Amino acid sequence: MTYFFIIIYSITLVYFALSERVKKFIVLLAIQGVLLFGIVFFNLGQVALGEFLFVLVETIVVKSVVIPIFLNKVRRNNGLKRVHETEIPVFYSIIVVTVMLMGSFFVSNYLHNEQIHTKFFTVAIASVFFGIYFIIIHKNVFSHLVGYLIIENGIFLLSLAVGSEIPMLVNFAVLLDVLMGVLVIGIFMNRVSDRFQSTSIDELAKLKD
Amino acid sequence: MLEYYFLLALAISGLMILFKNRTFNQVACTLFALLQIGVVVFAYLHAKETDALYFKYDMLGILLTAVLSILTPITFYHSYLYLQRYSPEIGRQSIYWAALVILITAMTGAYFAENVALLWVCIEVTTLCVTVLVFHDRSKTSLEASWKYLFISSVGVAIAFMGILFLTAVSVESGPKSLNFTDLIANAHTMNATWIKIAFILVLTGFSIKLSIFPLFAAAIDAKTVAPSPANALLSSALVSVGFVGIFRFYAIIAHTDADLWARNVLMITGLISIFLAAVQLFRVKRFTRMYALSTMEHAGIICLALFAGGIGYYAAVLHVVLHSFVKAGLFYQLGQSNYIYKSIWIKDSGAYFKINPLGALVVMLGFFSIVAIPPSGLFVTEFLIFKTLFLQKHYLISIVALILLTAILFQIARFLFHLLFEKNPEQLHDTDFNINKAENIAPFLLFVLAAYLGYSPPGFFVNMINSAIAIIQ
Repeated sequence: MTYFFIIIYSITLVYFALSERVKKFIVLLAIQGVLLFGIVFFNLGQVALGEFLFVLVETIVVKSVVIPIFLNKVRRNNGLKRVHETEIPVFYSIIVVTVMLMGSFFVSNYLHNEQIHTKFFTVAIASVFFGIYFIIIHKNVFSHLVGYLIIENGIFLLSLAVGSEIPMLVNFAVLLDVLMGVLVIGIFMNRVSDRFQSTSIDELAKLKD
Repeated sequence: MLEYYFLLALAISGLMILFKNRTFNQVACTLFALLQIGVVVFAYLHAKETDALYFKYDMLGILLTAVLSILTPITFYHSYLYLQRYSPEIGRQSIYWAALVILITAMTGAYFAENVALLWVCIEVTTLCVTVLVFHDRSKTSLEASWKYLFISSVGVAIAFMGILFLTAVSVESGPKSLNFTDLIANAHTMNATWIKIAFILVLTGFSIKLSIFPLFAAAIDAKTVAPSPANALLSSALVSVGFVGIFRFYAIIAHTDADLWARNVLMITGLISIFLAAVQLFRVKRFTRMYALSTMEHAGIICLALFAGGIGYYAAVLHVVLHSFVKAGLFYQLGQSNYIYKSIWIKDSGAYFKINPLGALVVMLGFFSIVAIPPSGLFVTEFLIFKTLFLQKHYLISIVALILLTAILFQIARFLFHLLFEKNPEQLHDTDFNINKAENIAPFLLFVLAAYLGYSPPGFFVNMINSAIAIIQ
């Protein structure tokens, strides 16, 4: 079952490359949150109730509900429907994401380590690199925020891949930090849109001497 | 103790936003400054002890918190002047104070963090606070700078978190399940070199925005270009120390593995590229704030070279961090006054400072000698130690390239500051436009003198503190 969720997660990355509609980005992020819960759920062995609840909150509540609702609000405030700013055709992006998935598969095999769960590691690395690629090819601050969240989801998978032993309290602080970061980024995005009458990063180039 | 400190700081900043009252803000800031000093005293008395589960009072943390505690009341005083001059609106003032208090608290947390992930959390909190401070004047440029800082810093620390996760993998593989620095250093020799190299590169990349070095320096430079000068004093000193702590502690782990030489080479390359980029960009600079921001980048590059040098270089690196904090903060405090007089941060709008504000000009002159490391600057001692070590280790090419770049930087900074001091009086400036407050120059002057004193004649306990701080590497 875990492989099923991982494969679906990889497909969402391809869909990100295909999509131009902002609403679709938000739906895909919500789906990724559910998939992450599925991946964790089917890999939990004997686990304390507190830990289970934490994962539930982190994936379903935060990643699938709170953040998508917030992003949708930001989208509506800024009247965003489509992003046409990519300089790279969709076809090439699909090739790039495929190469990233294959590349991460080879890297995972090369960096073989007993402590690393290769099945998670492959898609985690692909997700992080794709998030960075997504930020680079888009010229819209909203897409940059989406790219950042793709990276965050990749890092979540990476923490599963390395079987991280971070204490619960610290884990909670990390989650709170990320959530605050996303909210503040969203608020600033609204400000950018109000001040510059656009969410294109071309407008944000007045600081150079 | 630290948990109470965090709770009190949170309560103070929360109440500031809630009450929006000038008197309350002043009283709260005074209390917080005292609390900050109390934390340093408590930490010094409980050196090497663990507190609040995930924090430890090690000497590096105590030293840098002491520097921060010296800068805190001065920053509060200059912030008070800044807000009186530019932001009379109480709502914005309260947000500024609250963000400043949380920033100082998060930086203190980062200095004392014993757990790797908690260090990351504290550093991420500093990002949010810096964003609020940079956005203070609500202008288009401040919005642009704060957006870039927030976004790039968030991506940067996410990358650093990947490094922490890789470190988790190697630490579990090699035995200890704890992510405490002490345990990680103790078991470093058993860790897989490849994984720890990947972790180090990711952490160095992620924290580079805090230390203002290559590769993520650009957003930090932009943020420092538009931030209010008193806040800038902390961003260019204590926040740089946060970046240093993050990288230094990870370096302390890798220094105990076979990848030590590799890590030092990475630091050398990063340092040289940073100095080079600072030198090149200084030729295009038009604002004083940007000039000082690039100067911070140069000094961060020198700190990387000091870590590369090793041996006495470690001592010089920590001393350089401390002295640079005092000098750069002093320059920014004084810049607040010159910005007020000229009503501009642009170099072209300045001139005849010796005629307009002789005392302030003397402080700028002393600050100039201090920042470019010309005697009696304390930074001369640290740079002398660093280059002496590099020459003794026969790194001739690296030393000569770095020295040429530093000469170019010195030339540019001299050109800009001499423009401020000796150029003709700007036509648009009238004597009635400003009141010169001579007391503003006291703190910068004392900070430059303190930096010189600690450089040339450091007291015994101070030397012992630095030696204890670097003992984790050797």
